[in-house]
Amino acid sequence: MNAQTRTHRARRSTRAAATALATLLALGAAACSSKATDGDDGGKAGAGGVKTGDGVTDKKIPLGALTDRTGVYATLGKSVTQAQQLYVKQTNAAGGICGRKLSLTVRDHGYDPQKAVAAYTELEPKVLGFAQFIGSPFVASVDGRIRSDKALVIPQAWSADLLGNPYVRVLGSTYDLETINAIDFLLKEKGLKKGDRIGHVYFEGDYGENALAGSRHMAKESGLTVVEQKIKPTDNDMSAQVVALKKAGVKAVVISAGPRQAASLVGVAAASGLKVPVIGNNSAFAPQLLATQAGPALEKMYYVSTPSLPIGDKAEGPSKLAKDYAAAYPKDALDNGVVAGWTAASTFGEALKRACKAKDLTREGVGKALLTMDSYDTGFGAQDFSDPQAPSSTESVIIRPDKGAKGGSSVVREAGTAAEAKDFTPGED
Amino acid sequence: MSDAPGTTVVAGRGAPPAKTALRPAWPPRPRTYLWIAGSVLLLALPFYLDRFWLQAGLFAMAAAIGAIGINMLTGSTGQLSMGHAFFLAVGAYGYCAFAGDGGDELTGLGLPTAVAAVLAVALAGLAGGLFSPIAGRLRGAYLGIATLALIFIGQHVLFNAHDLTGGFNGRDVPPLNILGFRFDDSELVVAAIPFGSAEKLWYAGLVLLAGCALFARGVLRGRPGRAMNVIRDHRIAAGVMGVPVARYRAAAFVLSSMYAGLAGVLLALVFQRTVPDYFGMVLSLEYLAMIVIGGLGSVAGAVVGAAFVSLLPQVLTRYSDALPLVAESGTGGVAPGEAARYLYGAAVVAVVLFLPGGLIRLVTRRTAPPKHPDKPTPGTPGPSGEER
Amino acid sequence: MTTFAELLLNGVSLGSVYALIALGFVVIFKATEVVNFAHASLLLAGGYVTAVLHDDIGFWPALLAGVAGAALVGAAVEFLVMRRYRGRDHSVLAIVTIGVDILLVTELTRRIGTNVLAVGDPWGDAVLTIGSVTIAETRVAALIAAGLLITAFLLVFRHTSWGVAMRAAAESAETAALMGVRLGRVSLGAWAVAGGLAAVAALFLTVFPTPGLERSTSLAAMKAFPAAILGGLDSTTGALVGGLTVGVTESLATGYQSDLTFLGRGLGDLAPYLVMIVILLVRPAGLFGTKELARV
Repeated sequence: MNAQTRTHRARRSTRAAATALATLLALGAAACSSKATDGDDGGKAGAGGVKTGDGVTDKKIPLGALTDRTGVYATLGKSVTQAQQLYVKQTNAAGGICGRKLSLTVRDHGYDPQKAVAAYTELEPKVLGFAQFIGSPFVASVDGRIRSDKALVIPQAWSADLLGNPYVRVLGSTYDLETINAIDFLLKEKGLKKGDRIGHVYFEGDYGENALAGSRHMAKESGLTVVEQKIKPTDNDMSAQVVALKKAGVKAVVISAGPRQAASLVGVAAASGLKVPVIGNNSAFAPQLLATQAGPALEKMYYVSTPSLPIGDKAEGPSKLAKDYAAAYPKDALDNGVVAGWTAASTFGEALKRACKAKDLTREGVGKALLTMDSYDTGFGAQDFSDPQAPSSTESVIIRPDKGAKGGSSVVREAGTAAEAKDFTPGED
Repeated sequence: MSDAPGTTVVAGRGAPPAKTALRPAWPPRPRTYLWIAGSVLLLALPFYLDRFWLQAGLFAMAAAIGAIGINMLTGSTGQLSMGHAFFLAVGAYGYCAFAGDGGDELTGLGLPTAVAAVLAVALAGLAGGLFSPIAGRLRGAYLGIATLALIFIGQHVLFNAHDLTGGFNGRDVPPLNILGFRFDDSELVVAAIPFGSAEKLWYAGLVLLAGCALFARGVLRGRPGRAMNVIRDHRIAAGVMGVPVARYRAAAFVLSSMYAGLAGVLLALVFQRTVPDYFGMVLSLEYLAMIVIGGLGSVAGAVVGAAFVSLLPQVLTRYSDALPLVAESGTGGVAPGEAARYLYGAAVVAVVLFLPGGLIRLVTRRTAPPKHPDKPTPGTPGPSGEER
Repeated sequence: MTTFAELLLNGVSLGSVYALIALGFVVIFKATEVVNFAHASLLLAGGYVTAVLHDDIGFWPALLAGVAGAALVGAAVEFLVMRRYRGRDHSVLAIVTIGVDILLVTELTRRIGTNVLAVGDPWGDAVLTIGSVTIAETRVAALIAAGLLITAFLLVFRHTSWGVAMRAAAESAETAALMGVRLGRVSLGAWAVAGGLAAVAALFLTVFPTPGLERSTSLAAMKAFPAAILGGLDSTTGALVGGLTVGVTESLATGYQSDLTFLGRGLGDLAPYLVMIVILLVRPAGLFGTKELARV
């Protein structure tokens, strides 16, 4: 027997062995893999005759939160997540929902698409829905899967691009509506008039560009001209933008960017003689800014349009949340992220309660329950979830930075919807 | 995939009975068994793992393909590239544009997806070719930072060329369809296991990775590989010896871009939607970290490094609840994402200082048979041109 | 015209800060031929120390502490990491600095958390008005500080033994070592100096018009890459010219973005890189960089 035939035989037998092994494994898979289809997907009747599925057991209702604790939206992510954990703790202390305890599994994606998609893939089979999903590009990237998985997702973003998917429900008015309401405030109360120019400094991306759609709509309706300045999230110094806006002779400025950009813009404008009102979207303010150099200027000429009452408001909802949150996280700032997280969690909780009443704690059941909530008051403003294609509100509250108030802001104009916002369909340019 | 020269393979090709064989071909070496067991395991995984792990594996495979590419450029030829993410983006978006049918109001040629994938890889190569006149003029750090410009240009285009890229929210990726077999979520049941897109793509990924690795190994072990190493270690000497330096450098750039393009296509297929945020500078840096951690200039090293860098954060995040040092994010401790970054930052430093040659050295050192005296193992050069 | 003057002035003052960062790159590159991608973390370290201490010990001592702290971090990186590398491939060392950067930036951002830290500078939001042009006092301070530091550095470089040693090391490390230059000390010094310069730059990047030090401050170091390259990585004059070019380009591209819409909006970040590519096409070693003489 020479080397060659020996090798041939050896190869043949190895290959045969490998094939046999692979076949065995594949067939064995059917018997022992947990992945094998058992033909029994959800819809089991659990305790109390409630239909359950998707991770819900007799003891537990699992929810997911896809957040950003280490990336660019870490500030928002921290407040939202802690507020939601607080909600879960309080709800469970009061006996839970439907006789079951809530559990919130948090995954930090650090604003990285790969980690965000991975985290969605990991949690989706285990949870009933997502009370938080930060990063609208990532929501968009799993959009198709959300449609087929049918799990309710409440994104912590207010871009009109998120509308249209019946399982992704934007809580509060979208950025374009918010901007329309903001400019309405400038027109009615800050002396802006027909023929004036307004500056709009906005982030590259859906937040800024969606807000820009709002100011363009308002400009058309009210005879204003928009002077556009696009910036990137890494730009922290707004000097050049202020120079350009000054040159254009703007009478007011809208800013759809982060808190730092707003602080820089207002500070530079005040210092260099561009003394016009500046109004931002809800993501363009953080109470930490009041301690910086721009603090006094912010208090003097800056306003913020937000979908809900600020946490420092005297009303019952905000003051209770502010007290509880401060007790639970004494070292952390009270900002609007706390409100956003809380309202999202309590909306989810309300939908669960209604689904429980209807004896259907499945994803379909929660979705149906949400559609019945046409005037649910979170304590921060009324929300209407009956139209799956629309944001839950068209109202905005106008607030201003206020060092004296809890959470660093106080209300200047109560919740309201501009006339121009009523005939406006969010997401349409 | 690395140096398993396996005399069995050589003899099996019908080569004359090798007198030089130092040991009988049967029984096969333990290494051969290892390879067989590994392959069977890889083939069987989709029957057991859930979608999360398959997807993580697919990310790692795509990263491995890209890492093999940049390793040929930076590891073997010594051209520092920080613009790898740009070529990944060209591949990913190129595929979408070639295969898209224009249904989403974005530019799409509606080509068959397999053709689109090939064209996307070619397009990435073309982009590399267009950049190579600049690359050819620059050296070392200058080249590195010039390639950084590609990232910024790429991001600007991805965000602004709405019709082509869909802007910030990206565009949908048409599922791959080869001769009527669709790599999408339409369910296919194999041995009672439902096969979705992850399971199907797993096999496509394995095939692509194996093909890419074998091709790269062929290139690096042959004449071109030696020429590339000489260029890295001593450019002028290479020229004196008659190596067409400029042509080789350009070719390495094109080839590495094509690998990146293919990695981009595979990533796009896994993501099912491409978003511009992904293709930023961090991604480029991760690829550099992969090849340093795995082992510069080595195909197997690139694969090991890619697996390490892309799986680490996902594993840590997944088991964050159970790990002792990692705190639940925000409680003041180290969040899982941060822990992953500490680990791979430290890995880069530690590997270069204490393990020149990368992780792959650990493996080869332990199991490699004594080297044939006149056939040194290529593909795992020293950390650098030590003999310059 | 006012607009142009204001944008130009803004660009020049911003550019002088970039020049400080770029000078740090150049110093390290000259001494060790390594591109330091960890520069962003040195910057953040300096700014962090200043921001944390200023409440307790006052602004000027805190600034000094920041400079010293960043210099120490730089020296530590050199001593603990760079020196231990036994190979000679500078690309590998460049990648190592990326690893160092990841470690340091992760640690510092974790400490900074979600805060915006003020540095407590004496200038506040005051502005100077010259004719119809206004400019923040912080920017004037930045311009003066950068000018002084760069001049001082050039003098040191020419006239002290450390400067001579460094130039010798840059010329030929082996020859310098044979002549008795202690290469280790030269490179240690270079890293410390780069750290100190970065700390001063950090100060001016976190004062008014920017709100304060926070996790993304280190990204400004990215702007110094094109600055250092287009001037020439081994030229101190180049760092100055490069920094100013980047600052002015960025400022003008932003201020006139309404007239440049055909290129897409938001050009400010991209413009410096485009300028860099164009310059590199004409001069592959940057404007003032030493051309490589070897030809084949």
